[in-house]
Amino acid sequence: MNVIKGFQTTAKHLMEDAVTIQYPEQVQKFHQRYKGRHHLRRYENGLEKCIGCSLCAAACPADAIWVEAAENTDEERYSPGERFAKTYEINMLRCIFCGYCEDACPTEAIQLGHEHQMSYTDRRDAIYTKDMLIDAPAEGAASTPQQVEPGAYNRSIPDMEDPS
Amino acid sequence: MSDTVTINIDGQNYEVAAGANLVDAAKWHAGNDIPVFCYHPKMDPVGMCRMCLVELGTPGRDRATGELLRNDDGSLQIRYFPKLQTACTTTVSDGMHIKTNTQQVIDARNDVLEFLLSSHPLDCPICDKGGECPLQNLTMRHGPQASRMYFEDKQLLEKHYPLGDLIFLDRERCIQCARCVRFQDEVVGDDVLAFHERGRRLQIITHSDPGFDTYFSGNTTDICPVGALTTADFRFGARPWELNEVPSISPWDAAGENISLSMRLDRDFGGKAMIKRVMPRQNEWVNEIWITDKARFGHHFTRAEDRLQQPQMRTGGTLRNSNWEAAIAAMAATLQGADGDVAAIAGSGMSNEDLWALRQLLEGVGAGRLGAWPPTHDAAPHLEQVGVGAGTNLSELGRGDAILVIACDLEEEVPIWRLRLKQAQDRGAYLVVANARDTRLEDFAVQGARNDKVVEGDAIRYAPGEAVSVMRDLQKAHPQIAERLSRAENLVIVAGAEGLSLAGSEALAAAAANFLIESGHTGSANNGLLSPLPGANGLGLHYLGFTPQTTLNIMQEPPRVLIVAQAELLDDDPAAQQWLSQVETIIYAGLFDDGISQRADFILPLQSFAERDGSFVNGERRVQRFYTAQGPMGQALPAWKLFGGISQNAGIANLKPSAAAVMLELSGSVAAFQGASYRALSRTERQFPDVGGRDLYYGGTAYTNHGGIGLQIPTAADRGADVQRRDMADVAELRAGEGELLIMPITRLYNRQRSFRPSLLVEQRILNPYALIHPDDAAAAGTIDGDLIEIVAGESKVRVRASVSSEIAAGGVALPRHLTDAAVPLSASVGTVSRVTDAVAVR
Amino acid sequence: MHILLRGRDIPNIKQLDVYEAHGGFDGLRKSLAMTPDQVIDVVKASGLRGRGGAGFPTGVKWSFIPQHEPIKYVTVNADESETGTFKDREIMEENPYQLIEGSLICAYAIQAKAVYIYLRGEFWDIGEQLDACIAALREENLVGENILGSGYDCEVYTHLGAGAYICGEESALLNSLEGYLGQPRVRPPFPAQKGGGLYKEATVVNNVETLANVPFIMTEGAPAFKAIGTEQSAGNKIYCVSGHVKRPGNYELPMGTTFRELLYEQAGGPLHDDRPFKAMLPSGGSGPIVPLTDEVLDTRMSYEDCAGIGTIIGSASIIIMDETVDMTWVASKVTKFFKHESCGKCTPCREGTYWLDKVIDRILDGRGTADDVKRIADVAENMAGTTLCALGDFAANPIIHTIRHFPDDFAQHVQA
Repeated sequence: MNVIKGFQTTAKHLMEDAVTIQYPEQVQKFHQRYKGRHHLRRYENGLEKCIGCSLCAAACPADAIWVEAAENTDEERYSPGERFAKTYEINMLRCIFCGYCEDACPTEAIQLGHEHQMSYTDRRDAIYTKDMLIDAPAEGAASTPQQVEPGAYNRSIPDMEDPS
Repeated sequence: MSDTVTINIDGQNYEVAAGANLVDAAKWHAGNDIPVFCYHPKMDPVGMCRMCLVELGTPGRDRATGELLRNDDGSLQIRYFPKLQTACTTTVSDGMHIKTNTQQVIDARNDVLEFLLSSHPLDCPICDKGGECPLQNLTMRHGPQASRMYFEDKQLLEKHYPLGDLIFLDRERCIQCARCVRFQDEVVGDDVLAFHERGRRLQIITHSDPGFDTYFSGNTTDICPVGALTTADFRFGARPWELNEVPSISPWDAAGENISLSMRLDRDFGGKAMIKRVMPRQNEWVNEIWITDKARFGHHFTRAEDRLQQPQMRTGGTLRNSNWEAAIAAMAATLQGADGDVAAIAGSGMSNEDLWALRQLLEGVGAGRLGAWPPTHDAAPHLEQVGVGAGTNLSELGRGDAILVIACDLEEEVPIWRLRLKQAQDRGAYLVVANARDTRLEDFAVQGARNDKVVEGDAIRYAPGEAVSVMRDLQKAHPQIAERLSRAENLVIVAGAEGLSLAGSEALAAAAANFLIESGHTGSANNGLLSPLPGANGLGLHYLGFTPQTTLNIMQEPPRVLIVAQAELLDDDPAAQQWLSQVETIIYAGLFDDGISQRADFILPLQSFAERDGSFVNGERRVQRFYTAQGPMGQALPAWKLFGGISQNAGIANLKPSAAAVMLELSGSVAAFQGASYRALSRTERQFPDVGGRDLYYGGTAYTNHGGIGLQIPTAADRGADVQRRDMADVAELRAGEGELLIMPITRLYNRQRSFRPSLLVEQRILNPYALIHPDDAAAAGTIDGDLIEIVAGESKVRVRASVSSEIAAGGVALPRHLTDAAVPLSASVGTVSRVTDAVAVR
Repeated sequence: MHILLRGRDIPNIKQLDVYEAHGGFDGLRKSLAMTPDQVIDVVKASGLRGRGGAGFPTGVKWSFIPQHEPIKYVTVNADESETGTFKDREIMEENPYQLIEGSLICAYAIQAKAVYIYLRGEFWDIGEQLDACIAALREENLVGENILGSGYDCEVYTHLGAGAYICGEESALLNSLEGYLGQPRVRPPFPAQKGGGLYKEATVVNNVETLANVPFIMTEGAPAFKAIGTEQSAGNKIYCVSGHVKRPGNYELPMGTTFRELLYEQAGGPLHDDRPFKAMLPSGGSGPIVPLTDEVLDTRMSYEDCAGIGTIIGSASIIIMDETVDMTWVASKVTKFFKHESCGKCTPCREGTYWLDKVIDRILDGRGTADDVKRIADVAENMAGTTLCALGDFAANPIIHTIRHFPDDFAQHVQA
């Protein structure tokens, strides 16, 4: 009897759509908040959001992020505030994609995107540098560094909208 | 009256020292951290920030009889003030009761923090103080959870105001606690900071030129309870939690300031650990919690591009890159083949371990001439006899004590001593400064009053070259001063070498020792002799047998093989080129090439203090160890390893596995270092005030001493030896003849020495070459202020600008060392001054 | 009868000969014939209390000065900067010798070497006049060495401040006089103690009006002075009346006169007969505001009676407002004053005044909410009692009391 019961279950599911997909030919639809590879975001004017505060590195449970900061000048401006990330690296082999870095970021500069297809043949290649992480400037916006009017950015951190 | 009183903190009784500050007492005895911003244990309280409010009560007394009032149960009636009181402005008294945990107190702290934060920019993510910030910490502990203030109503102020090239001020972050102003006023005595305006517009300004001009400016960033003051050196260098603190010792002067090197890996330094900043480390006997700007900002030489990084060997007449194995083998062969005609000159930056390894090597090859560099100061034998007594703490000098400073400029030579002696005078000590010219400390000595306190002191101005006879004949020539000095409860004499030959500096120390012995000021703490020996390990050289007298001997009779270790002979000695030419083989080990590579047969890169373990003996004979912090430069080796390696190769002794092992052997072999194992040197104890730890707000960001407070070598007098006066009947003093002047090399803290120049930030403050000359002498030489003059003394010939001033006595010329590329005379010598007429301007 | 504003009764009393003809310097002469302690006892017995605002018994203050100290000073607080106060000015302009005589008696009583008259910066013309008076007295041997042959030496100097309200606070005044930033000092030590006064020496700091009373006390005797006024508040007081009254000005009346008599009998009642009184600041901007009810009007103007209606008489700078005045506006004006005058030394006052001003502006602009009113009341409460000097309490008073007494004035500005 039990055998028949078992086949019944099989028969019931035969008629349903398959759950599995044929990766990589088929790609799964991602949820909005899926946590894939990180992006460093820019403002609309092309300046970088990252201020090099290293809070992402401090929050990182896997110690995967390395940040070195430097000071902006009006001749060579990377971000609207006083400082920017001179070095920004994430070791993707260490990263556990928990998103704590995104939570820790005071300027919403680092965000986890949807790319997940990362593979390396060398451990060194797993270290994503700033060039690889940062978004391209928006249409028509200049990349960084930019030369700006002296005194145009006189706040230590860019004014942010109230997150609450 | 007893010297302790009983106070009650939150219901618990504590015995505390009478006269103590309430905040200090609560912290020290009860472990009760009363939060403070403006209060600092090293400065007078001002009660500005209102953070330390507590409920305060004292035993009530009957108005008529003065009797203590008692409750029905016999306990004392405590009368509490109706308003909260600031603990920082309260001195403990017997029976005092305070409450620090009542709702009223908790609310008051919360309110004050809310007020402070209402104007604070809250840009912690990019603030250099973020992570070790008193305001952050206290807000987490006592502050409100949210702000009720409107963010858009915040006052916007200048974020990046340079108070000079070293320190930046962020006017938004400033909470007007006046710690920096008071530090400059009360502690340093350079009152270059002040408040301007009033109300919410109150802000810090400086009027000095160059901006914020003092040798101690960096300390203000440590005691700043917010990120308002930051150093240009560390600006955005790292976040504090990423830093690894390594205990170390300042490599610059005889003070032996205890420092902490903040290390972090860095891409720019090949991914190796790198000094991101230098911070003070508490050692109340040595530097308290202060360090000089030179120690703080002068670390860049350790990573300078032009440091020696590769062993080089002369083969076939040319110097070629080599490797350690080949170089060590070749040197071992050279040394063994020299028939014992080997000598060594070691610089005062060498650690004790290095010197021991070098001495073993020389003894192994049958040579014994060990020279100390620079051969300018010869007070060490007297420091060994009657140096300041064991347990000396300059912070204990005060009323009833006296200090004589002769023939040195402590502001430039050992700034920390000058700071501490100035403070001793503030506490009531009698300070006498004797020199042939005006010095900064002399200005303090004769100031009369400072910060509303009368300060007592005198100055003696003597003719150039006369220091020894002034010291010897003090009783006769200055009876009143001599009387006050001899009658003082404690007496410290600081004898330098300015305007003296090497022999003269020895004679001055002897005369000073005589005075101390005669007046009975030897063999006890806070009494005795000090000398600003150049470099960090001038006394280590002495205790390990390296003497300046031997150096003079080596210069006169050069050996076949000379080992030069961390001594930049060509930079320092105008005659070096000449006498070095008589040496057959020069083995040079050091950090920088001062041009000796033209002559040397071996050029060997050594590690700096930051890259290795070691120990120095400071001017107060305190053996202090420093730890490996920075990644190595190139193939540089610690000197003990290099010389030990040669010894091993030559079959003299086995190479020790570590600096600790070298020290263990050394402490067993040299009596002075008895017991000075690394374990003993790293012993620490609780020091007052309790700085460091998590309560950064109390003493500022100075670090707890985890690296050791060191071990002081006792003097002969300390050990009870019968120290004898020396007969000083005839003293040969330098005398300038007709048409000649006494050329006196002097030391400037900021100079163009190879180890200082790479610190570009401070390099800007190095003065242009000059010489100080008396108006009469200038007139005789036909020159006026600002003229280019040529000074010729022996082998030395330098061109500098004349600075004509009566700050110097007639007959002498003060010529700073290391401001020009050409070397000034090693010690004071007779020479001539002439105006340069044919020259184009030289900078 | 005027004791202080004698310039109104006697023409040209500001001339030395006229002043002397009307009993001038008799008080000093009498004092010099007594021992210093006896002088202090007379002043103590007179019941004179400090007219600067705090009302501390003057004789007691003098007796705090340690006798054995070799150097002592008298400092006259002529930094009359409380809003609505103009009494010291009239004394110094019209009756300057009486002030100098009073301060010399004080100096003799504590055996001070010198008297410093600290004037607010705007009183430069009074300063010049006082300097001329001092020069005239020197001619007469009333200032300088061996005054009137008594063997007592005393110098009198004037000093102009730079125009700061806070320099009316005694320790800030001393700082300013010494050349430092005008910021209050930590107390103890108090000015009367060694280490707390001028140049760290024991110092008496008294208000102009206080000292101007002293010659009368010395000539007429303590009982005569004590007979004027109330039990605890002896003597006359100058009331500076300003605002919505018909005849604003200085009125010298015995202490204990009722507000009603001052405002209706003397000052002529409301400026516009159809607009009744609404509120009163009895002690300038720094004291608590009170609504001018009948109960208040019938209160006697003395230190003890004013406490009963929840305010202080202070320096008696009485500012009257009629019903057209919006108390929110008053709170804003007074707050702006204190924000401008805060020295910035201590946190609650520096930040609190700035904050209060910003939020009141919001309320006045119509951007405020009922929460904002609660917020400023709370902030003001937090300021009170935690500051280094009294300015923090002063700055909190207008907010706390306008909101307490006139909540409707605030309610009309805020959105529901």
